[in-house]
Amino acid sequence: MSNGVIITPGLAHGALRRPEPQDDVLRQAQAFRAERRAERVRALVAIAVMGLAFLTVAGQLVRLAMQGQPEQRILINAPLATAFARPDIVDRNGRLMASDIVMHSLVADPHVILDQDEIADRLMTVLPDLDRKWVRNAIADRTKRFAWIRRGLSPAEAQKVHDLGLPGLDFRPELRRAYPLGRSAGHVIGLVDIDNKGLQGIERYLDERKNVEPVHGPSLSVRPPLRLSLDVAVQFAVEDELAEAMRRYSAAAAVGLIMDVNSGEIFAAASLPGLDPIVIDERFDKNRMDRLASGTYELGSIFKTFTAALAFEDGMSPQKRFDVRQLLEVEGYRIRDLHPAGRPLTVNEIFLQSSNVGAGLLALNNGQKRQKAFLKELGLTTPMSTEAGNIAPASLPVRWGDIETVTISYGHGLAVTPLQFATASAALINGGYRVKPTFLRKRGRSKKPPERVISSETSRLIRQLMRENVASKAGTGWRAAVAGLDVGGKTGTAEIAGVGGYKSKSVIASFIGAFPMEKPRYLTLVCLFEPQGTKETGGHITAGVNAAPTTARIISRISPLLGLLPN
Amino acid sequence: MRILLTVAVAMTLGSAFTLYAVNYETRGLADDVKRREKSINKARRDIAILKAERAHLARPDRIGRHARALGLAPAKRGQFATYSISDPTGRRVTRRLGDER
Repeated sequence: MSNGVIITPGLAHGALRRPEPQDDVLRQAQAFRAERRAERVRALVAIAVMGLAFLTVAGQLVRLAMQGQPEQRILINAPLATAFARPDIVDRNGRLMASDIVMHSLVADPHVILDQDEIADRLMTVLPDLDRKWVRNAIADRTKRFAWIRRGLSPAEAQKVHDLGLPGLDFRPELRRAYPLGRSAGHVIGLVDIDNKGLQGIERYLDERKNVEPVHGPSLSVRPPLRLSLDVAVQFAVEDELAEAMRRYSAAAAVGLIMDVNSGEIFAAASLPGLDPIVIDERFDKNRMDRLASGTYELGSIFKTFTAALAFEDGMSPQKRFDVRQLLEVEGYRIRDLHPAGRPLTVNEIFLQSSNVGAGLLALNNGQKRQKAFLKELGLTTPMSTEAGNIAPASLPVRWGDIETVTISYGHGLAVTPLQFATASAALINGGYRVKPTFLRKRGRSKKPPERVISSETSRLIRQLMRENVASKAGTGWRAAVAGLDVGGKTGTAEIAGVGGYKSKSVIASFIGAFPMEKPRYLTLVCLFEPQGTKETGGHITAGVNAAPTTARIISRISPLLGLLPN
Repeated sequence: MRILLTVAVAMTLGSAFTLYAVNYETRGLADDVKRREKSINKARRDIAILKAERAHLARPDRIGRHARALGLAPAKRGQFATYSISDPTGRRVTRRLGDER
């Protein structure tokens, strides 16, 4: 059977033949060759398969190397981002005003908490201002694995909670916004929410300018700080003097502004009572509103600078006389001066003695159309905004007839924000160029040529009048004088409109000023809301006795800080 | 042929060991980088807190209070000295301290 031949009966001899030896060799050789061929094919197949596999790997490597990683990372991060890393905010000299710091937030895992009451009770011992019932509810549902207890613990509080060693409590580091200066410039800085997203003021501006990165861990921003035009020292000096003025004259509120008349940079912007950027409840306190940029007021006689400027601009001589002895009767209304001059006054004297009748006559001389166009040209009645947000639009009179023209000439009937008023005034002082108010520090001169709104001659005349109003005792602003510095300005006392007309005992006392007058660099605006008569003021509540001396105190305090030394 | 094979095997083994070593070194370096990054982050957080604390301590109302308690007051006229220097053309000019600002 070994050779595979089956021997069957009947087939013996003949049928059964011994194979030839040559045949055998031939067959073996054939089989061998066939086997070799099959082997080679198999090897080729294997090589091809391996080669393909290697090619795939190589191709994949090239693809990965060319594609890179970051795109994938963003895809993973974006939906998970829970907080925002914000750059620092610094003042014009690089002093820190707002910064992100990492704080610990207390979280709980209700699933592993066994005794909710014990946790709540013991937490109360170190965080007494927690609401016990609220905590108890937060950790009541044992199917949950996560609950916030308190976000943004101070390091000391976190340590105390940690020392309690309570099970099921943990800390999660988070970014928190810190304002080392407290309330200072609170209205300008604005507000961020619990996830560090800017909602108001400069903080919101940061978000809008895409300077804020979404992060899902406590990683600090690496972006350069935002440099404001504010000067922390000047800001504080203004706030401090305004607080002192509020106390001294029993005023309900106060506003102060220091602006570079040429660049529009705001060095200090204060509205008291102030706002703490981290106390959200204070935003709902109407008394703490930003009176500088969000409240519109009839500002009174400080408007006479516009009235005089318009007269000069249209070629009126400062020496032209107007008869202000009589009542001014317009459309059935009678305008009179508080202290009538008793003689005809020149344009200059109308400004210096702050005659309402005189201002009305000047405005009527220019006419209602011209007045409207002039105020618009100055930017007083057009929308205006800063980086800290929109400035409240001016409230224009519904009907702008002759009587409105007269009342607007001395600052009634047209309500504007103090900030917009000051910005429009800057053009009267700086030689006649339009400025845009800004809270950002400007570097170098702007490439755009300044836009002229009034002639340099008109500006010179207005500067002269403002200077004289403070320098001579005949002026209403002499109490704003500062020894060694030539300060100029205009007072304004406006009765506040209430139910059923104006309240004579309730006024806004304002002073618009500038210094040094020979080449003005800074504009000041001080408004005191509802100041009371005191012994010091002889019972008066007019701006000359309160807003003017407050301005003097502010200027003498900030001029060394601004590098202006008294002569 | 046999020599070639031996050399190839030796090279394979050699590169395997090298790769192994490099791999471990890389992991070590990656750990090191991670550790350093962590310490950098910690340092940056600490710096942020210290900067905020310094700004809080140096806030004008606090400095002003302390300065007044020490008998200091805002600068007044007469406290600023004048000095005279040569300008680039060699002319003597009188300046006041603070003018250079």
